Amino acid sequence: MEDHKTVGMKKLLVISGVIAIVNACLISACVVRKAEPLEQKTFIPKNEQIANGERVFMANCQKCHPAGEGGLGPSVNANPAPQFVKRFQMRHGLGVMPSFKKSEISKSDLHDVSKFLHAWKTY
Amino acid sequence: MRTYSSLLFFLIISILAQSCYRMRASKGGGQIKNVPARIMNASDIAVPAGYKIEPVASGLSFPTAAAFDEAGNLYVLEAGYSYGEVWGEPKLLRVDAGGKTTVVAKGPRNGPWSGIAWYNGAFYVAEGGEMEGGRILKITKDGTVTSLISELPSMGDHHTNGPVIKDGYIYFGQGTATNSSVVGPDNAEFGWLLRKKNFHDIPCKDLVLNGQNYTSANPLTDDPNDTATTGAYQSFGTATTPGQIIKGAVPCSGAVMRIPIEGGKPEVVAWGLRNPFGLALSPDGRIFFTENGFDDRGNRPVWGAGDVLWELKNDTWYGWPDYSAGKPIWDDEEFKVPGKEKVKAVLQKHPANPPKPAAIFGVHSSSNGIDFSKTDAFGYKGEAFVAQFGDMAPKTGKVEFPVGFKVVRVDASTGVIKDFAVNRGRRNGPATWLGKGGLERPVSVKFNPEGSVLYVVDFGIVKMTGQGPQPQMNTGTIWKITKQ
Repeated sequence: MEDHKTVGMKKLLVISGVIAIVNACLISACVVRKAEPLEQKTFIPKNEQIANGERVFMANCQKCHPAGEGGLGPSVNANPAPQFVKRFQMRHGLGVMPSFKKSEISKSDLHDVSKFLHAWKTY
Repeated sequence: MRTYSSLLFFLIISILAQSCYRMRASKGGGQIKNVPARIMNASDIAVPAGYKIEPVASGLSFPTAAAFDEAGNLYVLEAGYSYGEVWGEPKLLRVDAGGKTTVVAKGPRNGPWSGIAWYNGAFYVAEGGEMEGGRILKITKDGTVTSLISELPSMGDHHTNGPVIKDGYIYFGQGTATNSSVVGPDNAEFGWLLRKKNFHDIPCKDLVLNGQNYTSANPLTDDPNDTATTGAYQSFGTATTPGQIIKGAVPCSGAVMRIPIEGGKPEVVAWGLRNPFGLALSPDGRIFFTENGFDDRGNRPVWGAGDVLWELKNDTWYGWPDYSAGKPIWDDEEFKVPGKEKVKAVLQKHPANPPKPAAIFGVHSSSNGIDFSKTDAFGYKGEAFVAQFGDMAPKTGKVEFPVGFKVVRVDASTGVIKDFAVNRGRRNGPATWLGKGGLERPVSVKFNPEGSVLYVVDFGIVKMTGQGPQPQMNTGTIWKITKQ
């Protein structure tokens, strides 16, 4: 007879697994290329926060996700997770993705990266 | 309980994500099953609105760089050597109308000829020097070749590169022998360790080691169980001790050096570099250069190290072998190969804190040749254009998707990188990987003397296998991009 805790733990494990698999499938299935030559338009940051977010992205994220596409790491353009989840991931890391401490990317810069990613995805 | 559940949830996701990464196969751009015939189809390449790209020459064998004489004639180098230990004859070719080529000069079995500059009536060519050491050559239009410096330490992984000419000096890059200062079995796979058993990196100035040693299989004996222990800046099989001093010497590996235009003794300008490849003058007269970052290979593999655009600063140490793009790589999860231990520093004392990079390119993008737009006739005035040869996965490390295989533009004042010429398709990758007819492996870019046309040197097809590269002769191309 399984107790309440064990059943709850099993549920948690199943849900976690399903979320991870669905997330991985979504990321690998969706391919969003946003390169300017493909879009036939130029990305111009609309405000200083987005411009700063772009610079911070270039200094920290671009090397694994060039132009937001897959490379050493997966595509971030195709990642459907909400921005707060992405910020959590950047701060704490996930799997092979390293974490970025506040001394590396400040809270304000992290929010600017979010704003840039949103703007880049939708320009 | 909620905190515990959240932690458990995050741990599970983390383990799954990491397991997934380690289980997934590499998908590098060179990882193609068959080698198709090279097709040229400019419409498979996307360039910004208002620009046009077209091929101007094809069928070249390992072209690496282009230059123009005073009359605006186009010249191109054929390397005469490619990774994969494929040897040919290094050549300087004039490209005439219709893409017809004429041989101006040939070199010995000491390629790759990797870079060229035209200055005051002569070409200056970097001879990679895989067999006998690097050289800087002066070549006149009648085909006369004069060596201005020789025996540069180029017989390893990386070669003599550049050059660029400024204030009466030839500046050139000199790559390192190894990935991260320790000779290992990967260097035998490259080919050179079997030829040059005592070759290793040479620092430009004295360095103090912390005695980190690495034990690996020994490819120099027939016994498959034989091992060897090797330290930094040593021949294969030679260990180091804490506090050991490595004497600096010039010429050295991993540096930008310069010689007078008429030849002479080399001077170190910048050191602590891995593979400084393309050098170019910005419109305001500063020199910028690209550097190929660490690979995930060999005795001391490093993960997640991007290629870099640097501004050249006199008498400056740039961080190799313990920094990547200005960041320390030791004891840092950012540079730890998944499933392996964190990287250890090999230097006990670091000569300085490295400078801040101008831009950081994709990991394994092989960001190589560079030139600056200097006019409004082409646009993007003041920005750097960089050719990305593309990843050589799986030998240099695994990638989730092809990296590079395009031309990017860089605002060196902000570090912002944008694609400029890229293959169309659901994903980025070389033409053969996409089954199309666009860019394969752009290796350098050069503006014409008027600054109105950008020429892209495309090395051609390099298939990658678990055994190493299989470069294909006669598949190189020159493209030109014009503003309409």
